[in-house]
Amino acid sequence: MYTGRKNKNILLFSSLAILTVVLFLLSVFTGSVTIPVKEILKIAAGGEPLRPEWGTIVLDMRIPKAVTALLAGMALSASGLQMQTIFRNPLAGPFVLGISAGASLGVALVVMGFAGFFAGAHIGGNWLVIAAAWLGSGTVLFIILLVSVRVRDIMTILILGIMFGSAATAIVSILQYFSEEAMLKSYVIWTMGSLGNVSKAELQVLSYGIAGGLAISLLSAKTLNAMLLGENYAKTLGVNIPRARFTVFFSTSLLAGSITAFCGPIGFIGIAVPHVARMITKNADHRILMPATLLLGGSVMLLSDVISRLPGHEGTLPINSVTALIGIPVVIWIVIRNQKFSNIV
Amino acid sequence: MYQRENNELSVSGVSIGYTRSGNGTGEIFSNISASAGKGELVALFGKNGIGKSTLLRSIIRLQKPLKGKVFLSGKEISEYPPNELARKVSFVSTEPVKVNNMGVRDMVAFGRFPYTNWMGRMGAKDSLLIERAISMVGLNSLAHKNINNISDGERQRVMIARTLAQDTPVIVLDEPTAFLDLPNKYEIVHLLGRLASENNKTVVFSTHDLNIAIQEADKVWLMLDDKLIEGAPEDLVLDRSFGQIFSDSKLTFNDDKGEFRIAKSPSAEIALEGEGKEYFWTSKALERLEFKVVNDPNIPMKVVIDKKEGEKKWKLLTNQNQISFDSLYCLCSYLKSLKLS
Repeated sequence: MYTGRKNKNILLFSSLAILTVVLFLLSVFTGSVTIPVKEILKIAAGGEPLRPEWGTIVLDMRIPKAVTALLAGMALSASGLQMQTIFRNPLAGPFVLGISAGASLGVALVVMGFAGFFAGAHIGGNWLVIAAAWLGSGTVLFIILLVSVRVRDIMTILILGIMFGSAATAIVSILQYFSEEAMLKSYVIWTMGSLGNVSKAELQVLSYGIAGGLAISLLSAKTLNAMLLGENYAKTLGVNIPRARFTVFFSTSLLAGSITAFCGPIGFIGIAVPHVARMITKNADHRILMPATLLLGGSVMLLSDVISRLPGHEGTLPINSVTALIGIPVVIWIVIRNQKFSNIV
Repeated sequence: MYQRENNELSVSGVSIGYTRSGNGTGEIFSNISASAGKGELVALFGKNGIGKSTLLRSIIRLQKPLKGKVFLSGKEISEYPPNELARKVSFVSTEPVKVNNMGVRDMVAFGRFPYTNWMGRMGAKDSLLIERAISMVGLNSLAHKNINNISDGERQRVMIARTLAQDTPVIVLDEPTAFLDLPNKYEIVHLLGRLASENNKTVVFSTHDLNIAIQEADKVWLMLDDKLIEGAPEDLVLDRSFGQIFSDSKLTFNDDKGEFRIAKSPSAEIALEGEGKEYFWTSKALERLEFKVVNDPNIPMKVVIDKKEGEKKWKLLTNQNQISFDSLYCLCSYLKSLKLS
């Protein structure tokens, strides 16, 4: 827009991009097994490492996990931003439409409901669970889209989304109550989220979904800008409201639904990151805000992944707890620093 | 006889309201016909809840009329696709828009929304129209400010500048003066009048400030209980239409002064002696206390205004005594205490 602003944006985006790359490398270079940096570079270049298992760890575990973290962070933050804008509500996030609740219901039905049929089904990196989660969130999306064409006031959709979510959660509780301990534990572990259970083949499918969803969000930037003024103003500026709602809900479900299906419900990133992006860009324009949110979301998720690994320790902390523990101080800091939190959107 | 031709905006046999699922329609107002020409400022007037906002919303297609048609530049509005309609009519709503991190210029730039490509890329013409809109409403010094850090009156100007950047032949505003103080109310209405005549635009706005609207509007759309009548404000004064708006309340329209008053029933008579401005405002004060001011020397109670060497005094003469006061406030307090006892 103006040269001053433009230069500032170039600086901002280069720093964010560098931050993302650094955190990505950090995620690949660290882990419970210590592998020398030189060896990792050799493996990445296609060479033979000193020990063959190092190759497997880096190529089949660490890199897919880092890519999954990057995709998850970008997808959840982008859908959170879209929801906050379209509902003009700072507390909206990727899951307000009931998408994760729908996915959870799908998974709960598979893991606890029909467990007898699928004895031995391995939870997490399993196509059955993924399909169930996708089907669950897809069903919620379908209902929301049906309603959104008919309903005039968008707040009604927000309330309906919350109602669907509560209903799904209620059914899940009933399933939990009647299920056996082992199945209950597998389900609870799924709800804690995990970035590490995505295989290379699954990652390919996941990345198509996320790429599609992110492309739609970036193309919607102009429409999202108009939505900041509210639907009435957007309509008088020429926005086709039903089409805009459809596009935004579709991309949000694709993004948040896919991540939930592959990694479980990961909270907090989707609500917190857009606020941080607004603070550092000082811009309401989604053509700036959306790419900044994507880079920031990817970085935060990579950082959470690194932290969750607890250096020198076997195993990882649940990613859901880490994102919350990182996100909460950030949001509290924003609320206290910025008194006008209520109209931050 | 002369008849104006070429209505830029015309409403023909329109019924407004909301469709309810199940029990038919909730019709608010039926069979409205009205028109507005190029370069005209039209004030829509009527009491609360009569359907002014709904009529305006129907004109700009934020909702569908239940019956009838709205024509814009000679074409029925439903024939315009959304993006084309946005180039024909722009809108300012009652609700103040607050968005963090949005500058005044950014808000005005939204006017170019229907003209830019999918990325919203602005060309030289777009920038020119934005700058012109900002200077037309006198916001040059605020252009770099944040939209949340300016006053309500200034924000209303920003929203109006946005409609100018939108470059539409018709501009519709829903109570643009609702949240403003008196000087800002006058300035905004005056600005709208200037924009209409200087830029040959049709500007329609709803308002409750009849006194202001009467001084600036070329035409008034007056929503009475069962019909909408239109005409120059003076026409409506002459045919006594204004008086019918609040016919069910104590408010009466004073045809000579062009303003509304609460009808009071005088309880006692009082005589007044004096001249000029002092006489006028003293009689107003006495009327406020529900006295009937008469010029009859036989009345037992009388107020005399005494003006000597720039000093004003009010004397109250009754059968028993004479008291003098140095302000109208003291006189009124005394009269009030008399009435109570």
